[in-house]
Amino acid sequence: MEEKMDDSRSTPKKGIERRDFIQGLATLPILGLFTLSWLKKTIHDRPKNFRKSQRAIPEGLSDINVAFLGTGEQGYILMNACLKIPGLRFKAVCDIWESYNQKRAAQMLKKYKHEVNTYLDYREMLSNEKDLDAVIIATPDFWHADHTVACLEANLHVYCEKEMSNTLEGARRMVDAARRTGKLLQIGHQRRSNPRYLHCYNNLIKDAGILGRITAVNGQWNRAVQPDIGWPKKYVIDSPTLKKYGYESMYQFRNWRWYKGLGGGPIVDLGSHQIDIFNWFLDARPKSVMASGGTDYYNKNTHEWYDTVLAIYEYETKQGVVRANYQTLTTNSSEGYFENFLGDQGTLHISESANRGGVYREPTAPQWDKWVSSGYLSAPKKVTPQITTGAVLDVRETIGPDRHNIPVTFNDPYHLPHLENFFNAIRGLEKLNCPHDIGYETAVTVLKVNEAVEKARRLDFDPKEFRT
Amino acid sequence: MRVDKKYSNWQLVALVTIRFLIGWHFLYEGITKLMNPHWSAASFLLESKWILAGIYKGIAGNPSVLSIVNVLNTWGLIFIGLGLILGCLSRTATVAGMGLILLYYFCNPPFIGLYYAIPSEGNYLIVNKNLIEMAALFVLLLFPTGNIIGLDHLFHKLRSK
Repeated sequence: MEEKMDDSRSTPKKGIERRDFIQGLATLPILGLFTLSWLKKTIHDRPKNFRKSQRAIPEGLSDINVAFLGTGEQGYILMNACLKIPGLRFKAVCDIWESYNQKRAAQMLKKYKHEVNTYLDYREMLSNEKDLDAVIIATPDFWHADHTVACLEANLHVYCEKEMSNTLEGARRMVDAARRTGKLLQIGHQRRSNPRYLHCYNNLIKDAGILGRITAVNGQWNRAVQPDIGWPKKYVIDSPTLKKYGYESMYQFRNWRWYKGLGGGPIVDLGSHQIDIFNWFLDARPKSVMASGGTDYYNKNTHEWYDTVLAIYEYETKQGVVRANYQTLTTNSSEGYFENFLGDQGTLHISESANRGGVYREPTAPQWDKWVSSGYLSAPKKVTPQITTGAVLDVRETIGPDRHNIPVTFNDPYHLPHLENFFNAIRGLEKLNCPHDIGYETAVTVLKVNEAVEKARRLDFDPKEFRT
Repeated sequence: MRVDKKYSNWQLVALVTIRFLIGWHFLYEGITKLMNPHWSAASFLLESKWILAGIYKGIAGNPSVLSIVNVLNTWGLIFIGLGLILGCLSRTATVAGMGLILLYYFCNPPFIGLYYAIPSEGNYLIVNKNLIEMAALFVLLLFPTGNIIGLDHLFHKLRSK
């Protein structure tokens, strides 16, 4: 290797001189400075770690210790979203389906270097795990109240999937426990943290009042026919365990959503998310509801809850009466799921489905250029009528309004921002987007639909019903 | 290796400073990962977007590959950091550093239409700090200083003795 140094500092000379040592080792002080800084930082950070081990309220950005209670399909979705959130340590998973749900969840977390303990019974988990800060509950609806109350009383913050509970009595117990313990309870209506929905509510509806007076709302979640949910035969849960946790059979355990006393049926599973948005965007609670529904298609013995429900709410908002209809079908997937808010100046079409959404100006409404230039809306796309051969446009037809896109993109897992909001609230950085009182109001609103179907008449809400 | 560089004092100070700064950054990134037994590249890899996302997510989804990647990344950062600070095998460290940063850059590139769940601390369009650090390393590759200030100078002297 030939090396020539033209630089006077390094003119090649035979042998190693003192100057060479200085040049060669001149970098060592930097390494020393690095080591000193690193040690100082380590010592500085140590007291925080000690506080954490004493189970103080997590401060700043210190790690939050989390357990999962219920690791079925929904729990697994939440777990995957949580894995994207920095600063979480997963300590335990609890699920009564040891050989499948519990094992799958633990394996998943271990892949990501979270050493978790596994439990079949939540009481055992709560008595053994002493350094938890929060629990994510994704068990069947009829367990939510017992699980949430136990966790709150164990001094833990709780993220509980919706529906808050399958009974109002259960939901009330959850609210009471949250108030009594002062711990946070977030209900999993995740659209409340979705940046597209937040933009529509905060900017388009509240700030710009872009829809004018909202007079009607409609929403739907239509889903194609689905077979009953099965299970690998080798992973069956033994009968005494099923009975202990409230299930008559493995079939019922897997298909609990269809059973009265366990779930609430599609109107609760699907409709709850969207009817919650009705309340939120209208900033009101409904006055009444009438509904029609039934188990028209599936076997009534295994599908106790209604496979088809159509409901009409009446709201009294500050601007006047709003009528809102909602339908859920489980026999046809036409148009999927969305919510439409219809005002005298425009229409908002929104869906959790990321590629759907738009805002349409009524032909008689003032121009929206201001909102386009302020970034609230994207520039309009002309909706030109499709003229097919032989068709004649009638003068009485109104040309469709221009379509503006919602200029907020959201491509992350749907539950991620809602979970982030929960953990940020624990850290004192944000307020919960769906605390227990909002979850309770939605439960009151939604559970009444099943009652209206059953009674086959219009039911009025007493404003006191929404308070606990 | 033939080095014909003639730097003024200030040029040398500037180049060695950049070397120290980038080396410091690498070393600390590596040490924090080494000290955190729970650290894993998985969440970073899972966030991957763009056309290479499949490869990165594939790594995250394979526990044995992921554990190898975690070890390589941690020790890679530490050795590159030490190499740059000490001026030890500095050319190798510079090239390896550029390669590693390129891998980070293409995992989560700030391209138009790509959005990430974990917010970055700044706002970037195509150019982010990774790319800038890589460009700085490229400068160091073309204007090496390890043979002037660093252990490479001593190694060279020992060999030519």
